[in-house]
Formats: sequence, structure tokens, C-alpha cells
Amino acid sequence: MDRNKLGKWLQSPGKMGQKYSLHALYFCTGCGIIEIPPTITARWDAERFGVIPVATPRQANLFLITGYVSVKTLRPIIRSYEQMPEPKFTVGFGSCPINGGMYWDSYNTIKHLDKYIPIDGWIAGCMPRPEAVFVAVTHLWTLIDKGMADGYKKYREDYHYYRENQEKILGKLEWPPLFSSKKM
Amino acid sequence: MVMNTILEIIIIILLAAIIGLFFLGLSRKIMARIHWRYGPPIAQPVIDIIKLFNQTSMSHGKLFNFGIIFSLSGSVVVLLFLPLGEMCPLSSSGGLLVILYCMLIAPLGLALSGGEAANPITSIGISRKFLLAFGYELPLLLILLTVMTHFNTISIVDIVNMQLQTGWSFQHLPLLLSGIAYILILPAILDLRPFELIQAPQEISSGPMIEYGGKFLALATIQHAFNVFISLSLFTNLFLGGAENPGYFFLKMLIVFIILLFVNAVTPRFRIEQAIKFLWRWPALLAFAGLIIVSVTG
Amino acid sequence: MNHTGTSLKENLLSYFDDILVEISDEHRLTISCKKDSVITILSSLNRNGYNHLALISCVDWIKDNELELVYIISAYTEDSEKGKMNILVKTKIAREKPELLTVMSIYENAEPYERELHELYGINFKGHPRLIPLLLEREYEIPPFRKDFDTRKYVQDVFDKIPFVEDKKGRK
Repeated sequence: MDRNKLGKWLQSPGKMGQKYSLHALYFCTGCGIIEIPPTITARWDAERFGVIPVATPRQANLFLITGYVSVKTLRPIIRSYEQMPEPKFTVGFGSCPINGGMYWDSYNTIKHLDKYIPIDGWIAGCMPRPEAVFVAVTHLWTLIDKGMADGYKKYREDYHYYRENQEKILGKLEWPPLFSSKKM
Repeated sequence: MVMNTILEIIIIILLAAIIGLFFLGLSRKIMARIHWRYGPPIAQPVIDIIKLFNQTSMSHGKLFNFGIIFSLSGSVVVLLFLPLGEMCPLSSSGGLLVILYCMLIAPLGLALSGGEAANPITSIGISRKFLLAFGYELPLLLILLTVMTHFNTISIVDIVNMQLQTGWSFQHLPLLLSGIAYILILPAILDLRPFELIQAPQEISSGPMIEYGGKFLALATIQHAFNVFISLSLFTNLFLGGAENPGYFFLKMLIVFIILLFVNAVTPRFRIEQAIKFLWRWPALLAFAGLIIVSVTG
Repeated sequence: MNHTGTSLKENLLSYFDDILVEISDEHRLTISCKKDSVITILSSLNRNGYNHLALISCVDWIKDNELELVYIISAYTEDSEKGKMNILVKTKIAREKPELLTVMSIYENAEPYERELHELYGINFKGHPRLIPLLLEREYEIPPFRKDFDTRKYVQDVFDKIPFVEDKKGRK
């Protein structure tokens, strides 16, 4: 952790700020939300890494999707993701958002979440322990350092692909496209 | 002379921002330690602000941008009327009455910009904010009236100087009553528990702040830091003998703030009608008793 | 065997002739009936103080070509023996074009249960004020909880057909 190195702060304040002030939006889908209260409260204390929960997507820059995503919850997930200010990072938590997990043949559960919104990292497991969140956070730091956590840039570039996939599953979306430019 | 005043203004604003942000960070650290956690670094609010300025921010219209600046400048104006030791750029004129008026500018600005965001939860937060302001303005008015009657002046500089001769205001009975009343309403002014019903993240998703992101949230945080500095230093000036020297002044503010934090850590949140009932009963009663004693004894 | 259950059984048998009442457990009474007499049985139970509809459940008997509906009923009462009673009212309806009268006039909280059964089993409840989808977003040809709904094939047809964004970019 290079939080106390003043030189780095002067060199690239934006990057360091993003690293050490991750305001997390916990999307309470499925059983993953059971692991979140011990993570943010006294037992594991996520605040010492600068990770605190916020109540609104406007203030958040880390999006944790905890657990399976049904078709109905995909809609608010997309809306919340689009409301977050850039740069924003997304982490899928648990095996269900990765490939469906135990809901692999369910008629109403999204199998691969990264078909619909870009995901910067996954935490595998069913369920992952709270420590896994911290591993993910430290890994996200290195990704930010190297400039590899660029899901939001991908979303901007390939927005029409993502939008196409979203409309395939949800039907016509009632909100206008976030980015109008259509590069083909 | 003019240069000197401008220099003083800049120093006071910087100092207020630094002390206010330090208090915000300290509050998070102390709360963490009370919860038996390690807690964030004390500079965490500064880190947050640096990050927020490096984010894209979503504006909801001209009034949204204007309101937050309006609120911030309202807080800065109040700062200039508060004496900080020898430094008192504008406090020779106006005094307590001006402060009383200008302290309302900050919530008004937030209400303006929040109203532009047109989120229903924002309106709930703003209505709570003004109801709470309605609750603590009455005791605050009575407290300031008591102090002004007792010292027979409206200038804070004179009040501080008189305290140097006669001892702290806390040593006189009527002012002791109003001092306790001020401590009781301080959590409401600072948005600490048990009066933390304006933001209330679990309840109304951080209330008026719900549509703020990026630099707007940064400005709102700085405004909150100013607000912490203003209300604590007003208390210190009026009741704890003001500033003999800056370090001592800072120490007094710190002690009051830590007491408030301990209350904050162990109390749940009032509902809005309970808060108004409390504010209009005990602090108002104490302040009113103080005012009667002052006016009877002269 | 407790007294409440047996007396209720005798009472019911004296009123209705084409029903089958069985005391399957100490506090459990199973009533099997035709689909036309569900309403009358439920309303007589409601008049007798069994005023809580806990659940409406459904079983798909695909070999018999029938759907079985189960109304689970209990009572809010001070009488402890009566309060422990669970009454299951079972009825069978045809799988093709299943139709039934709504019980919302007797138990008002049947509204969401009937909506759920409508979208998961395709049962049409006549007289229900708003049979709109409760849980699902998409439309299904066969209601998804029926036994002949092939979930694996559905997943392959719908979810697996959606390409990864990287693949899409590679192809274009």
C-alpha cells in the first residue's frame, strides 16, 4: 500500500484518489449481501482501505454485484451503473454473476453478467469470504495503477453492442441511450 | 492595512477548511475506534475530495450549480465575522446578528440546488433540514439574546475581551444554562446523531445529497467542514473564553467535538417530530430560563 | 386424535357429499374435492373461523394430465387446538386451458398467489381483477413451472445465444 507516499500523490493525484477512496455501491441481489455487513462493520472493517458504502449511485465509483442477477434486477443494475460518475469500477461477487453458478439452467437468471455491463474483476466462490473482498480491492488497486481497470472506457466505446445485448433480454428499454455516438 | 485584511481572510478560510476537514476525518477515526475497528486514515476526507474532483460530475441545471456555490459562500461569509484570536477581519462590524442571518444562507443554498435536482427524496431531505433548522433556531436565538443581554453588546470581539477580564461565560449561572442549551442543539447543527435525520443514508439515501456526485459532492463536503468549524468556534468564542492563542482555541473546540462524538456513537436517531419536540422543550426551556435570570438580575 | 379435527370432519361430511376428508396428521386435515365446490368449502371454512389463507400451491401431475391446486388454510384464534389446525383443500383441474374461479371474495390475500400461479402455471383465474405478471419480465410460450418446460433448452436458446461483446467485436 502506497497511501502514505507523498511523491505519488503529487505525481498523479487522480489515480491515487481513485485507489484509496472507493465508495462502494452494494447491489443487494442474492445471498452475497449476507457477506457485506461483516465486511463493512467491526469484524473486518473495510473502511481502513477507504472502502465505504454509499447509498446512491451518484456518489459511488465501485459497483459490487453480490449474487445472482435475475432478469428483473438486470434493469436497475444497468440504470445504477449508467448513473455512476466516471471513472467507475465493477466487481462481480460470487459465482452466479460469472456463469450462472447453481442457477446454470434457470429460466429467469442472467448467466454471464459481462454480456450486459463491463466487469473489471470477479471474485469466485459460493460464497466468497469477506477477506476475498479485500483481495479483490488490493487487486483492483494494481489494475488501476496499470490502467487496466478500464471497463467504463469499454462501455463508452462498445456502447451499442452492450445496448443491443440488453435489449435482447429486456425488450425495449424505456430510457434513451447513454452515449449517442455510434461507431461501426 | 487592506493587504493585511485580505491576507487574514485567506488565512482564516484555509485554516477553517483544514481544521474542519481534520475534524471530519477525526470523527470517522474516533467512531471506528469506538466500534473496535482500525478505521480510515485521518486524511480520508481529503483523499475523498481529491478523488471527487477527478471524477466526471453530473449537473442538473444552472440553479443546481449556483446553489452549492451560494451555500459555500454563505459559510465563508460567516467565517469572516468570527474572531479567531487576533484575526478578525470583519468582526468589528455586525457581530452576532449578522452571523445569525448568514448562518441560514448555507441550508438555503443546498435547498436551492437540491430542489433543481427534482428527486423526491431530495425534497424529503430538504423539508427535514428546514424543520430541524426551525427546531434549533428558536433556542439559538434565545441563547444569543441571553449572551447579548448579559454582556450588553452584540460584538463577539467585545464578548471575548470581557471574558478575559471576568472569566469564562460558563462561570455565570444564566450563561451556564444557555451554554448547556447550546451543547444540546450542537448535534442538530452539525448533523450528528441523535439528530442525523437530514442525510440518514439507511432511511432516505443521504437525503439532499442524493443527486450530488463528483465536484458538487466535494464542494458540499467542504461546506460541511466549514459548518463544523463555524458552530464549534462560535461556541468556543461565546462560552469558553475565545482564543487566547490559536492552539488553545483549537484544543477547546476539539474537546467539545469529542464529547459530541461520544454521544453520536452510542445514540440512535430521532424521528423528526421527536427531534422538534426535544429541541423545543429542553434547550429552549434552559435558554429561556437563562434569559429571564439575565433580564431580572440585569 | 384431537377433538377439533374429528368434529370438523364430521361437520364437513354432513354438509358436502362428494368430498374426501382425511386426517393425515395430528393437526392436519386434507380435503379433496371437485373444482366446482372449492368456493363453497372455503367459504364455509371461513365462516367457521378458519380465516387465514397461508398459501396457494400447485402441483403439475403431467402423467395424469392434471394440475392439482392446494389451498393451505389456518386460523387466527385464541382457541389453541383450533389455532394449530392446518387444513389443505386440494382440487384437480385439467392441464389444457386450466380455469378456476378466484377466491379473492373469501380470502382477499389470494391476489398475489393467484397472479403467481397465473404466470408460473398458466392457470386462468376467472373474476380476478388484475392478472398481470408478478415476478417475471419475459414472456414464455409454456409457463416455466410446468413439467414440460425444458429449462436447459430455454437457456441455450435465449441466454447462451447472446454473444460476448469481445466476440462480437472480433467478428465485425
